[in-house]
Amino acid sequence: MNKETEHSFVELLETHQNIIHKVCRLYTNNYDAHNDLFQEITIQLWKAYPKFRGDAKFSTWMYRVGLNTAITLYRKSKRSITTQDFEGVAFKISAEPYDDTEEQQLKVLYKAVHQLNDIEKALVFLYLEDKDYSEISETLGISEVNARVKMNRIKTKLKTILNP
Amino acid sequence: MEELELLKKDWNKDKPEHKKLAATDIYPMLHKKSSSIAKTLFYISIAELVFWILVSIIPYFTSDSYRKRVESIYTNDTFFTVLNILTYGIVLLFIYLLFKSHKAISVTDNAKKLMESILKTRKIIKYYVLYNLIIAGISIVAGTLVAINQNPELSNTVSHFSDKQKLLGCAIVLGVSIAFVLIIWLFYRLLYGLLLKRLNRNYNELKKLEV
Repeated sequence: MNKETEHSFVELLETHQNIIHKVCRLYTNNYDAHNDLFQEITIQLWKAYPKFRGDAKFSTWMYRVGLNTAITLYRKSKRSITTQDFEGVAFKISAEPYDDTEEQQLKVLYKAVHQLNDIEKALVFLYLEDKDYSEISETLGISEVNARVKMNRIKTKLKTILNP
Repeated sequence: MEELELLKKDWNKDKPEHKKLAATDIYPMLHKKSSSIAKTLFYISIAELVFWILVSIIPYFTSDSYRKRVESIYTNDTFFTVLNILTYGIVLLFIYLLFKSHKAISVTDNAKKLMESILKTRKIIKYYVLYNLIIAGISIVAGTLVAINQNPELSNTVSHFSDKQKLLGCAIVLGVSIAFVLIIWLFYRLLYGLLLKRLNRNYNELKKLEV
């Protein structure tokens, strides 16, 4: 690929990088793993870039490639395994009593989302990103009805995690 | 659900998730090597092809007596020539199927389809390995029988065996073949099991949603 393509890709990625950071935030739990996954998603986006057609929004396309990398292609590197993760911190959070302050609620909520499995996280991620069920179902390859049903189950699951 | 809406509000606040990367940080990433499962699987399948092809041709080039014996068999016997062509035909077919399925893996497909493409590739490698193991197993047994038949000293020794000893001999050859095939098979189970553990788990989870 030529310099011009590289330049336009980097420019787009720089603008929309927060999407990748959000995926990394959901699927990793330490700084090194975050960077590692970010890099892998960037490589996958770059490799697939020639196939990117302008008719879709770059950001929409990023959601698909980003999630696919996180739930299917990504292999944890040695670097990210050897680093101490945030589990200790997260454990401390869960041990604290659940009170009504918004900040505390959010902490516990993020911790609860981290406990979901990869597919559930993908659904929650797209939901938080305000994607409609047709886009969620297209991204994951499931029917719209099943996406709705699963989302409802996740809500119930989160409730159980929050109020055991 | 109230809580999830609260999370959504926070999630979409315009706050940086991470240190914002500059273009100069992104450029080097484009030239780094991917460590994705698809790529690892591709390398494994290439190694697999090369390994089993080498296993079948190395004895031909390293042992003079083996080469002479093989050449005499092939020039004299149409059956073995056909068998040889068939064997290479099968290897070529596997190479074609592997490359085709690797090409079909696309990160822009939906998650389920992407997983299915990867699992299909893994299945082709699995059949290739299984095919080679069966051939290896048959070769050990057939090789032993041919060796006994063609080596007068050996066939003389065997002819003095009692029925019980012959049976024991057969059992040993068969046992060794099975153990050899099993050990290699277990190695592959472990290799692919570890590599695709997460993918399989996620694929099953997606499939469960469609039931």
